[in-house]
Amino acid sequence: MPTYLLRRLGQSVLTVFLTLTAVFLLVRLAPGDPAAAYAAPTASAEELVRIRGQFGLDRPLLVQYGIYLRDLVSGDLGTSYSFHSPAFDVVMDRLPYTITLAVSAIAVTVLVAVPLGVWMARRADTRRELGANILTITGQSMPDFWTGVMLLTGFAVVIPVLPASGFTSWGGLVLPTITVAILQFALVSRLVRREMTTALAAPYTTVARSRGVAERALVWRYALGNSAVPLVTAVGTRFAALLNGVVVVEVVFAWPGVGSLVVRALETRDYPLIQATVLITASLAILVQLLVDLLYPLLDPRVRLGKAA
Amino acid sequence: MTTAGIPTARTGGRPSAVTARDLARATATRRRSANRVKLWAGSVCTALVVLPILLAQLLPLPDANDQELGARRLPPLTEGHLFGTDQLGRDLLSRVLHGGQVSLTVGVLAVVVSGLIGIAAGAAAGYFGGWMDAVVSRVLEAQLALPLLMMLLLVVALFGSSVTVITAVIAVAQWPEVARLTRSLVLVEREKPYVAAARVLGLRGLTILARHVVPNVVRPVSLVVLLLLAQAVLLESALSYLGAGPERPFATWGRIISDGQDYLTTSWWLITLPGLVIALLVVGVNLLGDALRDGGGRTSRTKAAKADGGTA
Repeated sequence: MPTYLLRRLGQSVLTVFLTLTAVFLLVRLAPGDPAAAYAAPTASAEELVRIRGQFGLDRPLLVQYGIYLRDLVSGDLGTSYSFHSPAFDVVMDRLPYTITLAVSAIAVTVLVAVPLGVWMARRADTRRELGANILTITGQSMPDFWTGVMLLTGFAVVIPVLPASGFTSWGGLVLPTITVAILQFALVSRLVRREMTTALAAPYTTVARSRGVAERALVWRYALGNSAVPLVTAVGTRFAALLNGVVVVEVVFAWPGVGSLVVRALETRDYPLIQATVLITASLAILVQLLVDLLYPLLDPRVRLGKAA
Repeated sequence: MTTAGIPTARTGGRPSAVTARDLARATATRRRSANRVKLWAGSVCTALVVLPILLAQLLPLPDANDQELGARRLPPLTEGHLFGTDQLGRDLLSRVLHGGQVSLTVGVLAVVVSGLIGIAAGAAAGYFGGWMDAVVSRVLEAQLALPLLMMLLLVVALFGSSVTVITAVIAVAQWPEVARLTRSLVLVEREKPYVAAARVLGLRGLTILARHVVPNVVRPVSLVVLLLLAQAVLLESALSYLGAGPERPFATWGRIISDGQDYLTTSWWLITLPGLVIALLVVGVNLLGDALRDGGGRTSRTKAAKADGGTA
């Protein structure tokens, strides 16, 4: 177990490191000058040179990379060009909002999609199940920015019951949450349905039923319990993906999270901020995946970490 | 009693107790009919969007970029403008259809490219195993952990938003799905007797893989590709909504919606209608892909179902 954990941590660090290097090279190889984006439009050529020197962008690429890694090891992610404060702090200010949105969206997804999937498994291959299936597929097929704007118009403009944008009260969380969750229903409910259909047809279900186990316990404890590993994997992966990428929904709702931050950082060519955002969100997502893996033995005693697979 | 179906099972004198009613209620029958519903609904939705897009040049529509400032924001069904006009007096239907040409082209190209990369990488990893499998599997894992949309935005923002860049970016985003499926199918296929026979005949590994193994897995893989097309269309529209879509003057779906957003309260159709068109197309393609994957031939169905670890 400790060896397994160490190996997994090593792999994670390697993945993050490779990502960082890729992003570092990508932003510098691409056309576009941060100094020009930073300076006033009327800035002279000397002014631009001075700014580039100030940012350390006039040094050779390898030297820049070396300095970047050295600072990184001592916990310094650089200073954001546009916010004039440490990039780490800028991202950390925004992170709670993204995490809040991701957690609430995943919670709604699980609360709706798991019972729905169970219901679909018990009514497998009926017209109603087909209807539910098509409905969730429709949810998955609507562009999230469009759903967001439509919900916004419906519930903030036409019938003004909820705040339109930003995070001024907890009510502001409702519309973004729904927008994100609609996309996830199909995936999770279908997975639950598939696992549950198999579980309900398994011999142990028949045995349990013949021994008089109540149908409710049979479905929710026996069958769903045995579907826990794939379910937690899927939900964990979705959650990690949400931490990384609710960019579109954040932009639509002017949500002050990391997603809208990254769009702004890209526009202003804010290298340290781009790098810090990718570093922090990627590490977070990888950490979530690792935690999910560590959960397996708790969910299913047959799983031994670090063996085979 | 004369209607089509299973005539023998209905007559009273038959020895079998299985009636046509029982057959109609059997799980397999119901599953097949559910599949047929999906197939039909999917085809109809897809055709409703794709046919007009393909025929956009032939339809009697104003040019997508013809501005008529006197006819700004006309509501739908106005004379000559089925979908109305936008903030610059351009015909919305024409813009949506021409935008659709860009979106579909990008989507199809991206899926073809990601399909080719995915099949090649997945097949090599599955067949040869060893270090090749290790490398491909690591890359797949790493990509799952990356902030995907962020990376896509990064690449597009930095390298410009030409159709080529966008297509490449979407293809790179999608190949892991294909590779994962191909790899798992090839792992099964590799152990079959015909592969051993080919090896005994003295064929080289690459030949066996390309000539004998890959043709056997292409079909189930190609069924998943439709689902990827749906995702590609959504991804492209999200990118252009964020301002990272193909450059003007192309009218892309995402940009039509982001441009129309400012007029939402006064001119609902500017974003409602384009959004509905996107949703209709993606629903159609998703249903079609679903139906084909679940019901596409006996062998490929079981293969795809077995190997399908959370696609769609």
